[in-house]
Amino acid sequence: MRSASAALALFFAATILLFSLSAPRFASASTVENLMSGFSFVAILAMGQAFPILVRGIDLSIGAIVGLVGMIVFDLSLILHVPGYLILPLALFAGALAGALNGVLVVHLRLQPFIATLATLAAYRGLTYAISGRQLVPGLTTTPIRDPWLTGIETYFDVGRWLGLSRLVNMPWVPLSFVIMLAVFAVLQVLLTSTRFGRDIYATGGNHEAARLAGIRVNGVIITAYALAGLCAAIAALIMVARFTTATEALGAGMELTAIAAAVIGGVSLAGGVGAMFGPALGAFLLGAILIGLTLQGVPQFVQQIITGAILLAAVGYDRLLSVRRQRRLSAPSTAAT
Amino acid sequence: MTTGGPPLLRGTGLAKIYGNLVALDDTDFSVDPGEVRALIGSNGAGKSTLIKILTGAVMPTRGSVEISGEIAPLGDPSEMIRRGVACIYQHSNLAPAMSALDNIYLGRQPTRRFGFVDTRRQRLKAEELLAHHGIDIDLDARVGTLPTVKQKEVEILKALALDARVILMDEPTGWLAGADVVRLHDTIRMLKARGVGIVYISHVLDEIFAVCDTVTIMRDGRVVAESAVAEIDRPRLVHLMVGEKLARESADAALHQRRPRGTGAVRLSARGLGKSGVFADVSFDLHAGEIFCLTGLIGSRRTELVRTLFGSDRFDSGMLEIDGRRVAPRTPLDGMSLGIGFVPEDRHREGLMLDMNVTENLAMATLGRHCRGPFLSRSGMVRAGRKAIEDLSVQPRDGSKVVRLLSGGNQQKVLVGKWLSRSPRILILDEPTVGVDVGAKAEIYAILRREREQGAAILIVSSDLEEVMTVADRIGVMVSGRLAAVHDAGTAAMADIVREIGGGSA
Repeated sequence: MRSASAALALFFAATILLFSLSAPRFASASTVENLMSGFSFVAILAMGQAFPILVRGIDLSIGAIVGLVGMIVFDLSLILHVPGYLILPLALFAGALAGALNGVLVVHLRLQPFIATLATLAAYRGLTYAISGRQLVPGLTTTPIRDPWLTGIETYFDVGRWLGLSRLVNMPWVPLSFVIMLAVFAVLQVLLTSTRFGRDIYATGGNHEAARLAGIRVNGVIITAYALAGLCAAIAALIMVARFTTATEALGAGMELTAIAAAVIGGVSLAGGVGAMFGPALGAFLLGAILIGLTLQGVPQFVQQIITGAILLAAVGYDRLLSVRRQRRLSAPSTAAT
Repeated sequence: MTTGGPPLLRGTGLAKIYGNLVALDDTDFSVDPGEVRALIGSNGAGKSTLIKILTGAVMPTRGSVEISGEIAPLGDPSEMIRRGVACIYQHSNLAPAMSALDNIYLGRQPTRRFGFVDTRRQRLKAEELLAHHGIDIDLDARVGTLPTVKQKEVEILKALALDARVILMDEPTGWLAGADVVRLHDTIRMLKARGVGIVYISHVLDEIFAVCDTVTIMRDGRVVAESAVAEIDRPRLVHLMVGEKLARESADAALHQRRPRGTGAVRLSARGLGKSGVFADVSFDLHAGEIFCLTGLIGSRRTELVRTLFGSDRFDSGMLEIDGRRVAPRTPLDGMSLGIGFVPEDRHREGLMLDMNVTENLAMATLGRHCRGPFLSRSGMVRAGRKAIEDLSVQPRDGSKVVRLLSGGNQQKVLVGKWLSRSPRILILDEPTVGVDVGAKAEIYAILRREREQGAAILIVSSDLEEVMTVADRIGVMVSGRLAAVHDAGTAAMADIVREIGGGSA
C-alpha cells in the first residue's frame, strides 16, 4: 500500500513537471492557488467516497447530497434566517443522515450499493428541487448569502507573507478550504489506521463473512461508512456554497464520478478492503492538475473529458489486475509435499 | 477427562431444516473441558451445520446450546466468541489485504480510550502467543502474500488469541503437509492439557486415532454413535460412517455391477498433465463404459484438473488425447465439441439458471438443436424437456417450474439432464451429490450407471467415500495436485484409500 502511494506521488510529480515544461503559465502561484481552491472539496468528496468503496460498496448519490445540503443551507439562511453557527451543524447532520440512509438501504433491504445509491441520487436531487428556495421564493434567486459563519469558509491566508517568503517568490494564498481538507484528511486517516472502527472497515471489506464470524457488527460498520461519505459531501457542499454565496438545484451534479475516479486512482480497490486517505486526496489533486494543465494548453473541454475517462479506465483496469493477483495468491496450494 | 461438572459446550435437540432438506435432525452433542472430540461422517451428514450452529453462524430451527451450564443466545457469532467458542473453518476466513497481526485480532483488537487500537499491546500479546506456541509468522506480512500453511497458522492463532475455552476445527489439516499436521496435533495436546475443549472434524481416520479422546459419528443429519476412541476400531468406524445398509449394497454392487479395468476403448488419455503451481504429472486413462472416481481432500486440486480436461481452464504441460487424437481444449465450447459434458461442483453459481424453468435449463446446452433459423422452437424444447423429466424422474413432473424452487436433488438431476441431452461420450461430474438427500443420490447413481451401460465414459470428482465406494469402477486418489494411486474398486479396501487420501504411503 505504501509503495502504491509512493508511485502515485511520483506520478503526480511527473505530471506537474510535464505541464510545467509544456503548458504556458502552469508553473505559477496562481495555478497552485487554483488547484487548492478548486479541488480541495473534490479531495474531501473522494476521501468520503473511499469509505463505501472500502466496504465493497459505492455511493453514486454524493453529488446529489451536495446539492441537497446546499439547498438546505440556502433555505435555512435566506428564508428562515437561521444563524450560521446553527446552520453548520445542521448541514453536516443532514449530509450524514442522507448517507446513513444509503447504508440502511444497502444493509437492511440488501440492495446492490450501485442500485440503492442510483435510486437515492434521483431521490435526493428531486428533493432538492422540491425544497428549492429559488422556486418557493423567486425573489431570493439573486440574493447572496451574507452570513459570516458561512461566507467565512471562503477565506484565504497569505501564508507566504507570514513566513516571510513573499519577498523572494510569488507565493500562492492558501484557501481555508485547503486547511479544512487537511483536517478532514488527518481525522479520517487516524480513524482508519489507528482505531478499532478502522480495522473493522478493512475486515468487512476484505472478507465480509470472516468479519461477521469474528463478531464484528458488519451492518453498523457499513452504515457508518455511508454516513461518513454523506458527511464529507456536506462539508464539500458548505465550501461550494461559501464560494458561490448561493446554492442552485444542480450543485454537485456529476461530482460522484470525479470522486470515484479520484478514489480509484488513489488506490482504493473496488474489490474492497484496500486503500487509505492519502491516495484519494492526492488523486483528486492529480485530476485537478491534469485539467488545469490541459486548459492552459488550450485543449477543448470535451477532449479533457475523454482524457479523464481514459485515466479512470486505466486506474480501474490496474485495480482489477491487482485484485485478481491477490485472489490467486490466497487460493494457491501448499507446495510442501507430504 | 470428565470433571463431573456441566459440559463445557452442550447442544440439545438441535435441528436445522432448509426447505425440504433436513440438514440436522434433533442432535445432542457435548464437549468436556480437556476433551478432544472427533466429529466424523460423510459429506452431507450434518457436521458443518452442527458446527455453524455452535459458532452462531447459523440459526437452528430448534434446540438449545449451553456453555458451562448456561443457556447461550443462538445465531449470534459475537456472543459465542464472547463466551469462548472459537472456530477454525475449512475455508479461509481471513482478510487478505490486512496484516497477520490484524487478522489474529480481527474484530477484537485491544483498544485504549476512544476506540484507538493499542498497537503496542496488540503486538506484545501476539509475540507472546507466537513464542508460547512456537509458531513463527511475520506479523506484518499481508495475509494474502503468505503461503497456505502459514495462513492456516494465522487462523489457529486467531482462535488461540481469543483464550477460547472451546475450539471447533473443521478439517484443519485439509491444506497441511504431514510435518505441519504433527505440529498442529502437538498444539492440540497442549491446549487439551490446559483444559480447552476441542471438536475435531476430519476425514482422515489416522488423525482421529492419533489425537482424539472420543468420537461422535454422524450420518444423514443424525448422531448414529458415540464412543471413546480407545474402544473402537477402524472397520467399525467406517461401517458406522457409511451405514450398514449402504455398506452391504456397495459390497453387492461391487460384486455384480463393477467392470474390470479397461474393458472399453480408451476415450480419454492424460499423460503427464500439469498446470504450474496447481497440479503436476497426472496420467490416467478413461475407458468407454466405466465410472472413474477421483477422490481426495478438499484442496487436492481435483476440480482444477477436470476443468482443464473440459477447457474451462488450461493445462500447461503434458498431453491429452481424446479418442486417440491429441487435443488441447481452450474453451468450454472446445470441450463440448469433443463430446465432453461437464457438471460443475457449485450448481447454483456455475451450473443452473436458477430463475429459469426446468425446460429452459434442460435445453441450455442444446439450444442449437431447437433452433429454426434464428428462432427458438419452443415446442421442440418442451418435447425434449418432457422426455428428460420422465427419464430423470424430476419431481414435480412439470417443466414450467422455476429451478430455484426445486429441492437440491432435483436441481442436480436437471443439471445432469442438461448434459445428458447432448449424449456426451465423456461425462465429467464434480461432486455430483453434495447437498442432495439419500433418495435422490440413489436416483442420480442409477442415471449414471445407465449412461455407463450405454457406453459413456464417466469421470466423477467426489470427496464422499461412501459415494466413491458405491458407484466407482476404478478409484483415483489425488494428494496435493498429484494422482497418488489408482485402484480397481472391486478389490480396493476402504481403509487403504482413506490412508492414501490423508497422504499416507500406499
